[in-house]
Amino acid sequence: MKRTILALSLLLLATCKRAHEPIVVGSKNFTESVLLGEIIAQRLEKAGCTVDRKLDLGGTLVCDHAITAGSIDVYPEYSGTALTAILHRPASGDRAAVMKSVSDDYARRGLKWSPPLGFENTFAMIVRKSDAPKFNLRRISDLRLVEGTFRPGFGYEFVERPDGWNGLQQKYGLHFAEPARTMDLGLTYRALATDQVDLIAGNSTDGLIDALNLLQLEDDRHFFPPYDTVIVQRSDIGKKCAAAPAALESMRNTLDVATMRRLNLSIDRDHRSPAVVAKELQR
Amino acid sequence: MVEEIARATGEHVVIVAAAMIVATIAGIPLGIFCVRRVRLGKVMLRVIDIIQTIPSLALFGFLIPVPYIGGIGIRTAIVALILYSLLPIVRNTVTGLNGIDPLIRDAAIAVGMTDRQRLMNVELPLALPSIFGGLRIAAVIAIGVATIGAAVGGGGLGTLIFRGVAMVDTTRILAGALPAAALALIADLLFGALERMSARRFGSAA
Repeated sequence: MKRTILALSLLLLATCKRAHEPIVVGSKNFTESVLLGEIIAQRLEKAGCTVDRKLDLGGTLVCDHAITAGSIDVYPEYSGTALTAILHRPASGDRAAVMKSVSDDYARRGLKWSPPLGFENTFAMIVRKSDAPKFNLRRISDLRLVEGTFRPGFGYEFVERPDGWNGLQQKYGLHFAEPARTMDLGLTYRALATDQVDLIAGNSTDGLIDALNLLQLEDDRHFFPPYDTVIVQRSDIGKKCAAAPAALESMRNTLDVATMRRLNLSIDRDHRSPAVVAKELQR
Repeated sequence: MVEEIARATGEHVVIVAAAMIVATIAGIPLGIFCVRRVRLGKVMLRVIDIIQTIPSLALFGFLIPVPYIGGIGIRTAIVALILYSLLPIVRNTVTGLNGIDPLIRDAAIAVGMTDRQRLMNVELPLALPSIFGGLRIAAVIAIGVATIGAAVGGGGLGTLIFRGVAMVDTTRILAGALPAAALALIADLLFGALERMSARRFGSAA
């Protein structure tokens, strides 16, 4: 018994004395976020940093709490999400102003809002393409025609967020008769495709929109703010691995919407692992 | 908020009640069968045992692609809960029936009771406290597991919990968790009372 305790405490000491504390990479719990987390992790590993992955964390606010508390060091975020859901600012359509405002606020919180990855991923209000001609649906404001019968189904976050379902209904003057059904975000596409709900909120970069023959409604009243994809990092990330800031900076503007749709689809439809997909991208 | 909690609690009760009713109707006869056909019964109990070991979230996930009984929504939640509730009900029925004093059974045979009369008038009443004990465990487990059904669109109090977790909103998590805990306590007290009542009435067999 004594010997076991001794061995254990030695082991504990050894782990404490490890020279490099790993950089902890986080991500939210949906396909694209996990994939981006994986791409960030692999880029850091390539630069020689030790990396610990905490991907698939809960939603936006779980990630935000984690990074401000220092439980993770870096994760991918979207400008509109940071603006409305995290910083509780009113939504704005001005892309540059949103980036500047978020960047300034993040600096005050000890976080670096950079670099942008080069693509936008906005909320996409999605219906079945077969329903579009039947009910004359093209824009979000057209949903008024079906508010009495359409069954909406969303992930948990969209129902709660200021830039989510309630705000959208207010902005467009919609009054859906059916309360929104909530489920795991990844299941909403299946629910829509199998006729169990009629309206979902996905991501504009989801490859499944085309693959499942769905239609993204146009945000004709510009409810959603711009959602540029940006890496959030703790300002002191360089202390854990000196090469990290440069490695992350090298990712600036390296991805575009078409690439993300293709990669997301290969995970969602073809069931490939984000780690493998990310690795192929590095080559 | 209050309205939301009331609606979620209502859904929760419906899911659990539906699952419990089906599980009871299926579970008690299955228990009787296990006692009558010992060898086959052992296999069946083992299968039900194994179902119980599947993590609940995985079981919900397995049911999504299954036609008719699965899918996304309340049906999947109910089916999963039925499967989970079977074990305590079947096992306690078996325990209750096996725990009956053989002398009593012999006496019943000696007074000329048929198989069916013996079961309905002697054995099941004596096993009742144990069966109610099984229902009590099943209900408490089902109320807890039902919260996870919200991940597959099952509705109920889990919806509030999942939404609270997504937004790190403790108030909302509690809005789901407290009524669920209260429901579990109520179920525990209710079936506990039935268990004691039947034990007093029919003497304790288990």
